[in-house]
Amino acid sequence: MRRSVFRIVLGAVAACLVSASALAHHGAASLYDMGKETTLKVTVTEYVWTNPHVEVGVSTSGGPTTELLLELGSPPNIRNRGWTSRTVKAGDVVTVTFHPGLRGAKIGVVVKLVTPDGKELRS
Amino acid sequence: MIRHLLAVSTAAALLAAAACSKPAAAPAAPVHPNLSGTWLRPLRDTGVGGLPEVKDLPLTPWAAAKFKAERPAAGENQDFPNTTDPSLKYADPNGYPRISLHPMRFKLIQTDDYVYQLWEYNQNWRQIALNVPQDPDPALTWYGNAIGTWEGDTLVVDSIGYKDSTWLDARGLPHTQDLHLVERIHRVGENLAFDITFEDPGAFTKPWTAHLIFRPSPDGSMTENIYTISDELRFRERFLNQKVNIPIRR
Repeated sequence: MRRSVFRIVLGAVAACLVSASALAHHGAASLYDMGKETTLKVTVTEYVWTNPHVEVGVSTSGGPTTELLLELGSPPNIRNRGWTSRTVKAGDVVTVTFHPGLRGAKIGVVVKLVTPDGKELRS
Repeated sequence: MIRHLLAVSTAAALLAAAACSKPAAAPAAPVHPNLSGTWLRPLRDTGVGGLPEVKDLPLTPWAAAKFKAERPAAGENQDFPNTTDPSLKYADPNGYPRISLHPMRFKLIQTDDYVYQLWEYNQNWRQIALNVPQDPDPALTWYGNAIGTWEGDTLVVDSIGYKDSTWLDARGLPHTQDLHLVERIHRVGENLAFDITFEDPGAFTKPWTAHLIFRPSPDGSMTENIYTISDELRFRERFLNQKVNIPIRR
C-alpha cells in the first residue's frame, strides 16, 4: 500500500516536471503536438548551447546531416536539471523522447534524453 | 581615624561617580535579517505562473481590452509566430516583476545603503535605495525607482516610475506609467517571500497582491544568460522557417 502511494506521488511529480518543462518553452503549443511523445534512438549532429533555447540536431539515419532539429530549455533553466554545455556532442548515439512538430515540421521539443553512458536528463 | 575613613569613602564615591558618568554607549543599530544570497524560483514554475489568474484580477476596461488584443508566446492565448511580446519582438528588458518569474536565479546583495537585485536573466539588475524618500517624479525606466525601509524583519520596497511598454508577466498583463508597487520581502523558513501589491488606477480598479516564493539556490554561481534579438531571429529561422530581414549571427 505504502509503495503504491509512493508510486502515485512519484508519478504526479514526474507529470508536473514534464508539463512544466514543456510549458517553459515560448510558443510550445504553437509549434509542437504537446499531446504526443515520440522516442527515437538517434545520432547527435550538433549541440548548440544558446539562447533562447539550447538546440540538438539529430540524424535518424546515422549520418552527419541534421534531419530533425530539437530544442531544450534555456541554458540556466536546464542547468538546474543537470545539463551542461558538454552533455552530448556530435557523433553521440542517444535515445531521445520529444513532442514532435505540428504539421509535419521536422522539429521537436525534448522531454528527456538518455546519454551514451545511460544518464537520463529531462529538459 | 574618622577623618581617614571619610577621605577613603569620599574617594570611593568619586571613583564610582566617575565610572557612572562615562558617556553612555551609542544605542546598538537595529539588526535586520540578511537577505543576501542566491535565490531561485521553484523548478515547476514555468515563467508563466506566479501572478494570479487573469480572470481573478480587477482589470479596468482599458486593461481588459489591451490584454485581449495581445498575442503572447505563452499561456492560453499564445501565438508565438505572430507574438506582440515586446521582450521577444524587440528583445526589450522584461521589466518588473516579470523578470523574477523565470525559473532562474537572482542574487540579492544587501549593504547598509542599498539592496541590489541581480537577475540571471539577461544580467539585468535594480537597486533599492534604503531609508531615503521616494522621488515624486522619477524618470521612467524598465525597472522603476525603488526605495526600501525596514519594518522589523521585513524589507518594504516602494517603487514607481515604470515604462508602460513592458508586460507584468509573459501572458501580456498590461500596466500604465502610474504603476505603483509595494513589496514586502521577508524570510519564510529557508525561503524568501515577496508579497507584491499592485496599484495602478489605469489598469486595475483596486489594488491586488501576488505572493512569490523563492528558494535558496544549491550553489551561488550565476550563468551568463544574455538573450538578444539575433538569438530570437536565429530561433525563428531554424524552428519556424521564418525569413528574417537582416543577416543573423550563426
